[in-house]
Amino acid sequence: MSLKNKACVVGIGSTEFTRNAGRSEIHLAVDAVTAACVDAGLEIDQIDGMSSYGTAGIYAAELAPDIDVARSLGIPNLRYFGQTPWGGGASCGTVAQAAMAVASGVANYVVCYRSLKPASGTVRYGRPTAIPAEYRYSYYMPFGFASPTMWVAMQAQRWMHETGATREQLGYVALVCRENALRNPRAMFYGRSLTMEEYLHSPMSSEPFTLHDTCLENDGAVALIVTTPERARDLKQKPAFISGVGFGTSYDSHSMTSFYRDSIGLPECTEAAREVFRSAEMTPKDIDVAQLYDAFTVTVPMQLETYGFCKYGEGGAFCQGGDRIRLGGELPINTSGGMLAEAYIHGMNMIAEGVRQVRGTSTSQVKDAQNVLVTGGLGVPTTALILTQGN
Amino acid sequence: MSIEYNPKYMKHFYDPVWENFESGFWQGIKQRKLKFQKCSACGTFSHPPRVRCAKCKGDAWEWVESSGKGRIYSWTVVRQEVHPAFRVPFEVVLVEMVNEPGVRLVSNLVDCEASEISFGMPVELCFREVTKEWALPMFRKAGG
Ligand SMILES: [Zn+2]
Repeated sequence: MSLKNKACVVGIGSTEFTRNAGRSEIHLAVDAVTAACVDAGLEIDQIDGMSSYGTAGIYAAELAPDIDVARSLGIPNLRYFGQTPWGGGASCGTVAQAAMAVASGVANYVVCYRSLKPASGTVRYGRPTAIPAEYRYSYYMPFGFASPTMWVAMQAQRWMHETGATREQLGYVALVCRENALRNPRAMFYGRSLTMEEYLHSPMSSEPFTLHDTCLENDGAVALIVTTPERARDLKQKPAFISGVGFGTSYDSHSMTSFYRDSIGLPECTEAAREVFRSAEMTPKDIDVAQLYDAFTVTVPMQLETYGFCKYGEGGAFCQGGDRIRLGGELPINTSGGMLAEAYIHGMNMIAEGVRQVRGTSTSQVKDAQNVLVTGGLGVPTTALILTQGN
Repeated sequence: MSIEYNPKYMKHFYDPVWENFESGFWQGIKQRKLKFQKCSACGTFSHPPRVRCAKCKGDAWEWVESSGKGRIYSWTVVRQEVHPAFRVPFEVVLVEMVNEPGVRLVSNLVDCEASEISFGMPVELCFREVTKEWALPMFRKAGG
């Protein structure tokens, strides 16, 4: 039995991306789900499943819980509800769970969503106030090692040392994402260009990162609707088929602090990559465009390696000059601007962009894009998707 | 450079909490000893500790005091304040222990300029008092 092409994304919806949404996470989620239903041509009451996620702890204060969203939408019953843990690592996993739910008949129309307001709300990502008193943080917080930027910096420094990747190569990731955002009116950085000079001379936050290496902080919500190909025929949009799904933890997995393996790399990505390509019956050569989780610039070249687009140690060089990863290159990435330049919706906006590429409606459209890889967060247990045109 | 704390904000200090199978590590710290979990059956070290040995699945362990000798495996210099309790800049290091195979520990580097740090640099353990209750295991350049 296989999940290949047994489910598809038929609706995408989003709020505005903004520094101050002026409404709560629940309200934002309700707006995004409503927009996704309109996009799909579905009545809200047809939604009978919800797949969601929060931050990478057991305490997710900013979560817009499914029952609160369903209650405001007047949804009579959820036949399926589920959450995927580990923060941004869950993004593609929510769609994978929705696909399993509709393919097995547990529910008919499952909405996946993420809603957050770190820009104007009380829970700011990367701030210690968001860190719960869990045993896992005791090894880090007392040492002032207190933010995702620091945790990923520790990984990045070692990876750069081992591979010889340079700050300039990371800079090209930021520049290419920014180029894409300049074509995307929804993007937070629409109309705001970035030069290599500015990138290289920006002050360090946590070495080797500057502000330009870390993702945006904004308010917003994105929702996607998943159903079966049979039901998709009666709906408005061209479906984006869920061809492959992958989950991976690998061994000795920690949340953001997997510093203890033989090599400090991202073996959870290697495992998710193996699964996503196996289930889609594809190889990296089949991918036309990729939305690679970019909470940090460095995770793009690291994923180019772990997802098999190049060998270990070649990810930095792959990004050099930006030509191979920009529109028109061999693997255009993050065509909405990604989380470095469109918005930080914990990866959900990158899945929506993957759907646009399959539909042919991206503001940075890759010509005849057949197969799109979308990946979830790094340094945590991770998930991935391959979206396609179907057969 | 050393990590420096702003006393005004130390009420926000993160008091370590732990699971039962980690108690030997934190009780060791309270006695200013750095101890690591070692499998009684096969001798494999685990840090952070586990309920069972990942190698042989054994569930008996002992807490072995470390020589405190390590090498810098990775580090970051924090230059932008994230919490006012910690004055920037300061260094966070990932130390690979020399005598406990496979063990790495996150800590701070004291009395060392950022420009002096290098991969593989030998370091040695020292304890720094942080609050009335807690002195934390930190590292300085070996032989310095
Ligand atoms: Zn053992």
